[in-house]
Amino acid sequence: MSEWTGELELDTERIQDKTITENLYFQGAFKIMRPVYSHHSGHPSYYILNPGGGYLDGDTYRMKITAGTNAGLTLTTQSATKVYKTPNTQAYQEAEFYLGEGSYLEYLPDPLIAYKDARYLQKNIVHMSKGSTFLYSDILTPGWSPEREDFSYDCLRLINEFYMEGKLISYDHIKLNPGEQPITGMGFMEGYTHLGSFIVISDKVEPGLTDRIYDLIQQEDEDVTIGISQLAVPGFTIRILANYTQVIERIITKVHHLISQEWFQTKPGSLRKY
Amino acid sequence: MNNKLLSLFQLCDSNFPTGAFSHSFGLETYIQEDKVHDQATFAEWLEVYLMEQLVYSDGLAARIVYDALENEDFDVIWEMDRLLTVQNIARETRDGTQQMGKHMVKIADSIYDAPMLSMYRERIRQKQSFGHSAIVFTMVGHYLGVPKQTTVLYYLYSAIANLVQNAVRAIPLGQTAGQKIIYAFQPKLEAAVETVETLEDIDFGAVSPGIELSQMQHERVNVRIFMS
Repeated sequence: MSEWTGELELDTERIQDKTITENLYFQGAFKIMRPVYSHHSGHPSYYILNPGGGYLDGDTYRMKITAGTNAGLTLTTQSATKVYKTPNTQAYQEAEFYLGEGSYLEYLPDPLIAYKDARYLQKNIVHMSKGSTFLYSDILTPGWSPEREDFSYDCLRLINEFYMEGKLISYDHIKLNPGEQPITGMGFMEGYTHLGSFIVISDKVEPGLTDRIYDLIQQEDEDVTIGISQLAVPGFTIRILANYTQVIERIITKVHHLISQEWFQTKPGSLRKY
Repeated sequence: MNNKLLSLFQLCDSNFPTGAFSHSFGLETYIQEDKVHDQATFAEWLEVYLMEQLVYSDGLAARIVYDALENEDFDVIWEMDRLLTVQNIARETRDGTQQMGKHMVKIADSIYDAPMLSMYRERIRQKQSFGHSAIVFTMVGHYLGVPKQTTVLYYLYSAIANLVQNAVRAIPLGQTAGQKIIYAFQPKLEAAVETVETLEDIDFGAVSPGIELSQMQHERVNVRIFMS
């Protein structure tokens, strides 16, 4: 018996022009659907399901995803991840990603919704090899509460560790703790309710790209606050404060399109499922 | 007070040439947006910066490095040097701490006959380490035999005092207002050291979104008197 509420392992490899599933295992409250190959491409999209419908008190989830040499894949979820109240023990998820040389892995899950009295810790640990590319996004949204107050959740912590050939190259730790912090105020959420992040690490990122992305996201006319900065290695992080999930999704999609257009002269398929 | 403490004082002096006068760590973004414009709003920002970024990064790192020096577990120090640097998502802030660390280790190594400082300086020269003032300061505190908590307290004090000096120039505030803020921050600094004591390794690098975003946005701020 596994001690995890949900467990998922996926290994992929590239055979000629196609990335295929080499090994797949899941148990408990994690499931993965058959990959979708859009428009004759060899690039699969995998959708993760959480049959339990949400993360509960003390739940633990674990996934391990491997992209073989030159493999390319997209990993997403079928719907938002919901974290419900955790009176005793926080919910926890850890994900490990292994990227072989020249591989391309996108992990673009739906938003995370944290409900009243929820506590959640998430760790992504990304092991990259030479010439690999990793794209990651997350969107944190406050769930509905009977009192209609925002930020009724207790604490969200998201940690991202990135290693290149075994060396730590970036470490990202966002902590939102409405239980203890004046969360709406200066230095915290600055009056906004939603927080989005988009992280791209790749040798293909050059300084001009972040300038072009900056110009693109400046055109956003909704009420948002956006920052973009280059990492210590070729790559960048974008952070977005906004009041609507859709606004953050739109900005991330725009940037994603720009990158796909510049690097592959393609438009990424729509991942949304409705 | 003994001479050891007086020696550590020297590093807290805002005239100690680390280049701290060139870095606002996101404060200038708030000033440009007029969110920080007087003594009260600056004090509010300073407290969030101290309690929601500095304690989790520099403060916790100083404590861990001090312990590592006690145990002669040097690999922990070099790991912390890397972690402290790469956990800064904002480029200017990351570059800024590295520059300040380099300046500080160079001067500290010239003043003190401490092998650790020479080793750190050499590692930075050979690009094996990045350089960070929290680590240099802790090495000096440990070398002088100043207790751990005092070392962490003085480091945080020096960071805060430098930012107050910068705020006095940039907002601007009167010199007296600046000194009043430093005085009023004494209990907050002690609270920060207590928080550092209670933190676990997994707490490292936690940052609140607004503070970090302001540091990322600074690159694109139009009128700039600071490099971060």
